[in-house]
Amino acid sequence: MATPELVTLVIDGREVSVPKGTGVVETALHAGVEIPVFCYEPRLGPPLGACRMCLVEVEGLPKLQAACTLTAQDGMVVRTAATSAVAADGQNGVLEFILLNHPLDCPDCDKGGECPLQDLTFRYGPGTTRMTFPKRTFDKPIPLSPLIALDRERCILCYRCTRFSEQVAEDGQLVARERGASSFITTFESDPYRAHFTGNVIELCPVGALTSTVYRFRARPWEIQNVPTVCGLCPAGCNLWATTREGKVARILGRNHPELDGGWLCDKGRFAYDHLRADDRIREPIRRVRRRGFEPASLAEALDAAEEGLRAAGDSVVVAFSGGETVEQAEALACLVRRGLGSDAAILPDDLDSSLDAYRAPLSAIAEAGICLVVGDEPVVERAPIVDLWLRAARRAGAEIVTIHPAGSIPVPPGSAAAVCEALRAETPPEELRELARKLREAGRVALVWSQDDPTGGRHLAALAAAIQLGGTATVGAYYLPRTPNGRGVAAAWRTAGEGGGSEPPAEGELGALIVCGDEAARDPRVLDLAERARFVLVSSMFMTEVTGQAHLVLPGTSYLERDGTTVNLEGRAQRQRRAVQPPAGFDELEFFTRLAERFGVDVPAPRHTAASERAALPPPGAPEPLEAPPAERLAPPSGGFALARYHPLFSGAAVERIPQLQF
Amino acid sequence: MGRRTLLFEDADQADLTKLAEYERVGGYRSLRKALRMTPAAVIDELIASNLRGRGGAGFPMGRKASFLPKPEQSSKPSYLVVNADESEPGTCKDREILLRIPHQLLEGVLIASYAIQAETAFVYIRGEYLTEFEVLQAALEEATSRGLVGGNILGSGYSVSVVLHRGAGAYICGEETGLLESLEGRRGQPRTKPPFPAIAGLYASPTLINNVETIATVPRILAMGGERYAELGVENSAGTRLFSLSGNVARPGNYELELGTTLRELVYEIGGGVPDGRSLKAVIPGGSSVPVLSAAELDTPLDFDSMARAGSMLGSGAVIVIDDRCCMVQLGLRVAQFYQHESCGKCTPCREGVRWLVSILRRIEAGDATQGELDLLLNVCDRILGKCLCPLGDAAAMPVASYVAKFRDEYQRHIDGRGCPFRGSSSLEGVLAPVDQHHAHLRAGIEVPV
Amino acid sequence: MELYDEIQVIAERYPVRRSAVLPALRAAQERHGWLPPEAIREVAEALELTPAYCLAVASFYDMFHLEPVGRHLIEVCTNVSCALRGAEQTLQAFERELDVRAGGTTPDGEVTLRTVECFGGCSWGPVAAIDHRYREPVKPGDVAGILEELIASPALAPEEGDRRGS
Ligand SMILES: Cc1cc2nc3c(=O)[nH]c(=O)nc-3n(C[C@H](O)[C@H](O)[C@H](O)COP(=O)(O)O)c2cc1C
Ligand code: SF4
Ligand code: FES
Repeated sequence: MATPELVTLVIDGREVSVPKGTGVVETALHAGVEIPVFCYEPRLGPPLGACRMCLVEVEGLPKLQAACTLTAQDGMVVRTAATSAVAADGQNGVLEFILLNHPLDCPDCDKGGECPLQDLTFRYGPGTTRMTFPKRTFDKPIPLSPLIALDRERCILCYRCTRFSEQVAEDGQLVARERGASSFITTFESDPYRAHFTGNVIELCPVGALTSTVYRFRARPWEIQNVPTVCGLCPAGCNLWATTREGKVARILGRNHPELDGGWLCDKGRFAYDHLRADDRIREPIRRVRRRGFEPASLAEALDAAEEGLRAAGDSVVVAFSGGETVEQAEALACLVRRGLGSDAAILPDDLDSSLDAYRAPLSAIAEAGICLVVGDEPVVERAPIVDLWLRAARRAGAEIVTIHPAGSIPVPPGSAAAVCEALRAETPPEELRELARKLREAGRVALVWSQDDPTGGRHLAALAAAIQLGGTATVGAYYLPRTPNGRGVAAAWRTAGEGGGSEPPAEGELGALIVCGDEAARDPRVLDLAERARFVLVSSMFMTEVTGQAHLVLPGTSYLERDGTTVNLEGRAQRQRRAVQPPAGFDELEFFTRLAERFGVDVPAPRHTAASERAALPPPGAPEPLEAPPAERLAPPSGGFALARYHPLFSGAAVERIPQLQF
Repeated sequence: MGRRTLLFEDADQADLTKLAEYERVGGYRSLRKALRMTPAAVIDELIASNLRGRGGAGFPMGRKASFLPKPEQSSKPSYLVVNADESEPGTCKDREILLRIPHQLLEGVLIASYAIQAETAFVYIRGEYLTEFEVLQAALEEATSRGLVGGNILGSGYSVSVVLHRGAGAYICGEETGLLESLEGRRGQPRTKPPFPAIAGLYASPTLINNVETIATVPRILAMGGERYAELGVENSAGTRLFSLSGNVARPGNYELELGTTLRELVYEIGGGVPDGRSLKAVIPGGSSVPVLSAAELDTPLDFDSMARAGSMLGSGAVIVIDDRCCMVQLGLRVAQFYQHESCGKCTPCREGVRWLVSILRRIEAGDATQGELDLLLNVCDRILGKCLCPLGDAAAMPVASYVAKFRDEYQRHIDGRGCPFRGSSSLEGVLAPVDQHHAHLRAGIEVPV
Repeated sequence: MELYDEIQVIAERYPVRRSAVLPALRAAQERHGWLPPEAIREVAEALELTPAYCLAVASFYDMFHLEPVGRHLIEVCTNVSCALRGAEQTLQAFERELDVRAGGTTPDGEVTLRTVECFGGCSWGPVAAIDHRYREPVKPGDVAGILEELIASPALAPEEGDRRGS
């Protein structure tokens, strides 16, 4: 890429050079000058210039300018409040106007201590008030939804929240009503603000007008710690801060990864953390004792029981993974089973497929696509929510979004994704796809997205990508959305622990032992069937399920917020999960299975995070199996009858079920 | 100088709302002429005429049209938007054009559209103008049925459609970017500039926006030639303009004057002076948003430069005459209330500052204000001026500051006498801003005390 | 024609359908007399927008009624030019004759009286709009006659449910 053209300007007497097109606010920051802003937030679209907090003097212009609306020009001379009395007066004036109606109730406000308005008032604000009339008052706080409270008195009408709703999430639910001094933020007819990404408005609000009902009054900013980690609830793996207080997770905030999440989180990622403290959480090992039912056990007793059960099983062992494990966790368990017990049978939730690696690109590349093709019957927003925001960004930037599923822009019968990919790369595609096939070949910038369960999906997508010359004449990428957060990392770990992909569990007959790792596996009907046939069942899960009822030993499973390790997301990006809080029993699966493996004479490789992540990030390229082209007649548009497409909704699963506020 | 009928030539003799009569007096001949010229030549004619916008800001029309990218330079269609939102208090001139010479406006629309090669022209008419809308719509239907509007007009190969779009009651939609937002189906909140509408206006496409009167003048300019038009009026203020004369004057009404005519001539010779034996106290020369002039400044000519030298503006051409019964604090309060009601609420200084002005003015009028609050009033004006997203904030602060500057003793008397010296006799007494038309804020439990 | 279809026809006029929001809200208001939540929902559905969005737009403009109004609407301009020529007296005459304060509706639901900002009739004031038709000037002496005429005329807003479904 050519080096960007630079422009040189002077801000508060300091000369600074930045790439052409850089905003003046960013340029100033580059020069070490802070220009205060409220409404400015580049992630929300073009600058609004509404709050006027960023007024600066620009040489040659008669009036003060809103710095947020300016881009750096060669030779520009900018004076901020720090060096210009006029700018300072303008800024003080704006701050005074903002404070006219602000209740200044910082001591009771959740935002206190991390509030831009409070900081600016402290730094520049008027010492006394010159106002002699009553402030605007509202009923407050009102519930905007079970998750978000709105205090309209504190609102400074920066329109960040409404711009997010309209221009990022595009849910169109949070709006400003009335006009002028009577304006206020609202939903329609006091409907709850219900959508997939609502919680982001809490973080966007520069004052304490929008607060989390879950976090409200839980902690003050100086009592907390923020741990940088990665979400473990879907295959996107958005980056986040886990705010902890006294050893508990009190809040989740976005931690902007510009290529991956743009700083946004879905509501599941943001609000589900309280399931860590659910009443029905399994907090210690439990062992089945003949005739007496279940009894708590110590770590040592649990290890003994596990060893005993597994030794009796011989090599007739099956392990079922959830796909949410860290690579290290999976590796420890895989080493135990494959090397220690001599079994190769596993249930892997998402099969590893390396054929798409050639078309890997960061999610942010989607926003640059000219055309985005989404195949598969599951809504993207339910499978990997953040991808939905990237697709919307692409559409706003002018891309055409083509969805192919029973209710898509090109309707097809359920389960046609593979057939569609085949048809699209055929010499003469069927009538209804011909135009699309042409566009895909000519667009130049194409994003391909696969959104449903299908182990062959990656290969079908890869074949299509090859056919349209992705990576050659065309750029952007192809994305297979797996079902589980780290299925790919788990599968890679499984592979590296033994030889090849291992085997399927036996279809019938008695089993020596079944190891169930994680809550997703514990809910899998296939696993329940295996459990009924197994002499010894070991389950590690956070919550009780039907399978735990059949278990001989139950381990307290951990959450992604309680462990250290590596996960590989749908982009193939290896990321580090960090422990925000201690697991309830003081140990996690990694420790347990590592120690158990030692008893079977297996050393789990270390140092883990770095080594495993490299291995996982570059999985061994297995030769793609030949594709079987489905018969073309299946492509007919759906006829009158109903065809049920099933999928896992985003707001489902063990974690969500334990957060009443997420179920409305 | 003085009265000079150009726009309304023939309008007294014939019913120009009828296409046949309009054509009989030479209507649509300018359009035929324009269609034989190149678009660039039409723009050159407009540039030569020195016609400046009649909506308020006075920007040269031809130059603005020349800023639009040529069709071959742009992948997007161009649009013409006619600003018929006329809402500046005191202004009722565009209405007379809509009612009496709708075809002349349409002819101007077609010529201007041709000049910028627009595919579609929109006329944004304030929602309250129902009869005006109907008259224009009838004219449009007649013109369309005669092949003057639509595909391949007059066999020229040029096609344009005209869409009439009604507003719904919001002064800010007269501001050009607020208008564009409103026309796009949004809340009429102004946009930051740049980008200017000429580059990215309606639907982010190149857009020319002009006032009704500006556009209605275009056929006259084509008929007489730009250079001849430029000879009318005075330097930097070419041509004639409509002035809406209102307030305490014997013969209020719209008058077409050559630019450069003095205020005195308009108010006394044409308007018949102040009636009822009262004396003239002040004149607002360009709509309620411009600084006031005192009786001593009556000899100021009505042209852009002279008004600027006098510290005021021609604005929308609304001349409001105020006699000696009017309390200038009440005037300030009433004007500020208007702008508070009309503030869109997007930017802070306008939304909060104007409301503050109202509250201080209320206290002064009630006799509750301290000396410091008079200075505070001016300081708040100063902190609004030039700090807002669009000129509406200035439109509130400028006049109020000018009332205090020119009639300070009257403000002082309110403070010293702890009350209004005009109590019970001011011509503005008791006239309040509208009760808020929307009651939602009550349901939401909001109180917006003023 | 159903409101939904009427809105589709309106939307055809514009290069971008969203531009039809104002005329669509006006059409809905003409049917309902005001804009109750269901009217806003109908507009939203017809234009594929959210009700919240349509409400946000409607509430920005003075001519949309988000609360019920009388079957007739009387609006008196009280801006400077009209005020200087006696708008206050005209308004008071309406208040007296109707026995209702500005901003209110007569108890029988017939007439809503309200004040408005400049109507653009400044040179001919005081201006009042009777069911959206300007009268200028309206002197206190004209008020009784105007009201008599008004009560005899058909209602601006139909009875609830009147035109819906027809
Ligand atoms: C608050 C405000 C209200 C305005 N109202 C009107 C209006 O009602 N009619 C109008 O033509 N211009 C109005 N303008 C001016 C327009 O923004 C714009 O300058 C004008 O329509 C351009 O047309 P012109 O160049 O022909 O004057 C207003 C400007 C502001 C700031
Ligand atoms: S609620 Fe917060 S984010 Fe929304 S407009 Fe008010 S201050 Fe801004
Ligand atoms: S930050 Fe620039 S106007 Fe708000």
